[in-house]
Amino acid sequence: MLEAKGIYKYYDSTLAVEPISFSLHPGQVMGYLGPNGSGKSTTVRMLTGLLEPSGGQVLFDGQNIRENLSAYRKRLGYVPEEAHLYEYLTGEEYLEMVATLRAMPAARAKSRTDSLLKLFSLWPHRQVTMGSYSKGMRQRILLIAALMDNPDVLILDEPLSGLDVTSTLIIRSLIQALSALGKSVFYCSHILEVVEKVCSHLIVLRKGRVVAHGTTSEVRGDIGKSTLEGVFLELVEESNLATVVNEIVDVVVSP
Amino acid sequence: MIQRVKRRLEQRWEKFGRTVFGCLLRLFIGRMFYGDTEPAAGEANRGVAVMVILLALPGLLASLLMLQKYGSLIRFLRGQQAVDPFVTPIADEYSFIVLSIVVTGIVALWRWDSLFLDRRDYKNLVPLPISLRSIFLANLCAILALTGICTLVVNAASLLLFPAAVTASSTGIVFLRFASGHFVAVVLASCFSFFFVFAVAGILMAILPATVFKRASLFVRFLLAVILLAMLGGSVINPEFFSRMATQSHRTLSMLPPLSFLGLARAVWGASGDPYVARMTGAALIALGLTFATAAIAYSVSFRRLFIRIPETADVGLVPRLPVFLSALSPRFGRFLRKPAQRACYEFVGRTLLRSGTHLQIVLGFLALGSVVAACVLASMTTPRSIIAGKTPPLAFLCIPFIWSYCVVVGIWFAFDVPMELRANWIFRFWLDRDQHEARAVARWVLLVFSLSWLAPACFVVTMVFWGWSVALLHTLVLSICTFVLVEALLVRMRKIPFTCSYPTFKSNAGIIACGYLFGFLFFSDYLVQVERWCLLNPWRVLLFAPLVPIVLWATYLYRKQLLAMDKELIFEEVSEFEF
Repeated sequence: MLEAKGIYKYYDSTLAVEPISFSLHPGQVMGYLGPNGSGKSTTVRMLTGLLEPSGGQVLFDGQNIRENLSAYRKRLGYVPEEAHLYEYLTGEEYLEMVATLRAMPAARAKSRTDSLLKLFSLWPHRQVTMGSYSKGMRQRILLIAALMDNPDVLILDEPLSGLDVTSTLIIRSLIQALSALGKSVFYCSHILEVVEKVCSHLIVLRKGRVVAHGTTSEVRGDIGKSTLEGVFLELVEESNLATVVNEIVDVVVSP
Repeated sequence: MIQRVKRRLEQRWEKFGRTVFGCLLRLFIGRMFYGDTEPAAGEANRGVAVMVILLALPGLLASLLMLQKYGSLIRFLRGQQAVDPFVTPIADEYSFIVLSIVVTGIVALWRWDSLFLDRRDYKNLVPLPISLRSIFLANLCAILALTGICTLVVNAASLLLFPAAVTASSTGIVFLRFASGHFVAVVLASCFSFFFVFAVAGILMAILPATVFKRASLFVRFLLAVILLAMLGGSVINPEFFSRMATQSHRTLSMLPPLSFLGLARAVWGASGDPYVARMTGAALIALGLTFATAAIAYSVSFRRLFIRIPETADVGLVPRLPVFLSALSPRFGRFLRKPAQRACYEFVGRTLLRSGTHLQIVLGFLALGSVVAACVLASMTTPRSIIAGKTPPLAFLCIPFIWSYCVVVGIWFAFDVPMELRANWIFRFWLDRDQHEARAVARWVLLVFSLSWLAPACFVVTMVFWGWSVALLHTLVLSICTFVLVEALLVRMRKIPFTCSYPTFKSNAGIIACGYLFGFLFFSDYLVQVERWCLLNPWRVLLFAPLVPIVLWATYLYRKQLLAMDKELIFEEVSEFEF
């Protein structure tokens, strides 16, 4: 079980994320929502151990992850928000590198990499440098890298960014299938429709503060909205969307 | 008054920058100066300032030496006669022409990739309502501006100081005449050098497919760098020889640049009536004109052939597979590293070194420097046969692998500091334990594999052919041990995985560090070799020096041990000493 206990983060004197606490049990899919700059990625970095919280603890199976980061990361699959990859490496070489970093046995790494490359339709491009990959292809490489060692916890930061419809549907179903196998998934996204369909639990963040937390149906019920979009707009958006749209149009068509 | 003029010029420049052409010109000039990186404004300005200083420095130092050489007091104390300003300094004028050609050529080689428009320009500019003609002309003007700026900066010091030194005891007219000749020769030589490199790049781009161009250009640049450095080496070792060629003999050779550019200076100095000088002047002008025309044509063709067709071409192709036994990335080499993390980092670093143009360029640059120094050492031998004569190898032979070893190791060491796709380093931040010392093991292995894997066998084979296996074995052993100790000394404070850390910050003791590397070179390739030769005369003498190796290694171990834990922790960002 992954647990955040009052974690918060200051950048110099700016409080980026106020104290957050939640638990992610096996088989749960936790949706993490919030507008740009609300502190989602900072939270994700603290959960993965890339960023040390200014206070609070991240616990995995009751143990502070900082005590043995390597062991924790061995059981973690992480897809970062942006697909920054080494462009002169081929997809196959990159995955080989990740497998070696994960200390996977060579034979198992090879067979898994090959199978996943085929299943994610990247087999024909495996020996092409990633500089020529499209955004979706890079995203698929990151997904393979996160999944290849059968992790217990998956932290996905905008995993569907740039993916085509088929891949999106596959990932959506994959998350549900992995959750049914007892994997925990922490899912950060802007695509409310997908969050609504795959997440059992929800945290909504606004300006670094949790404004809603519970099961998806609980949150919807508390706010009194039938859709997640309605919940999101109610909790997070400050200005009237119609007014903003009209103002943009006015600027565009003005002489 | 000056402030008003300055303000007016700034206003005009601002106004020009707001036009389409001006905006494009500023964009392209910026790209040529700053490359592909996007530094913060402060860093960028500092980078340009450092670049200008570095470019101007060789000319300044050479000019200061001339002040000493032609100083009337020093000449008087040496009992030398007054100089004829149009005859005596011919050899030095040749040196300045070579310096001008070499420094400008190296700048052009360095900015090789930024001269031509690329995919990013296409994606950003072509969708905008700008004509292709404007893009074409703006980039051409930017290249011309870079040539002009580079020419002026490289020659700025010598344009004033060298004529002042030579004509110190002459009239103002003589000064003006000498300065004009020098100005014409060095400025045109600089332009020639820049356009020559530009023309070569343009021709390659126009005739080769984009993917082949990327690979080929690296080796062409290496060759050009070797030629330039050899030219510089020749002028430093024996300038009189070249100036003699320009005045007395080798008429065909003296038609070639940079000798022909000496004809330009001599023509302005009053020797234009000499048919030989007239021929040299003609040759220099024809060379300059041809180079400029070729560069312009190649640029136009490559623009039409490649830039306009960028959407139809793939940016990168399949990665060529090297035979496993040739590849420095062979699993055989990685197997010697204990931990999986080290093996993964080794493969990453090896692939970066072999595939990244920037890094390979740095290493090849050092290799070219080493090759030129090695060639100069060999050339200093009286006869070619004396290199392989005698019962024991001469110093000139023994020092060659040491020179290469030092240059390759230090070249790779410098390349380590240049980050590669910094934002992609999250994978190492994510996986590597900061307290584990993977960095040293990885860097050590890369440095040894990339230097000794080819140098040691080559050294053994060549020495064995001429002096037998015992000398070959001892020579190779000494080379390997010395290289290992050098690597250990360099790695003593190493705490970053190569290419994954931000650029090092400017250090106030950079000058001392540079002197340290120079002294290190002398020590490694000269003093150590002298000791080695002394040992080769009686191999038992090696035993006298054998204990030194463990002592040095023990000292580096003790030094590391006393470092604070925070000074050994793996880092991904360099912190300025001032910030600290």
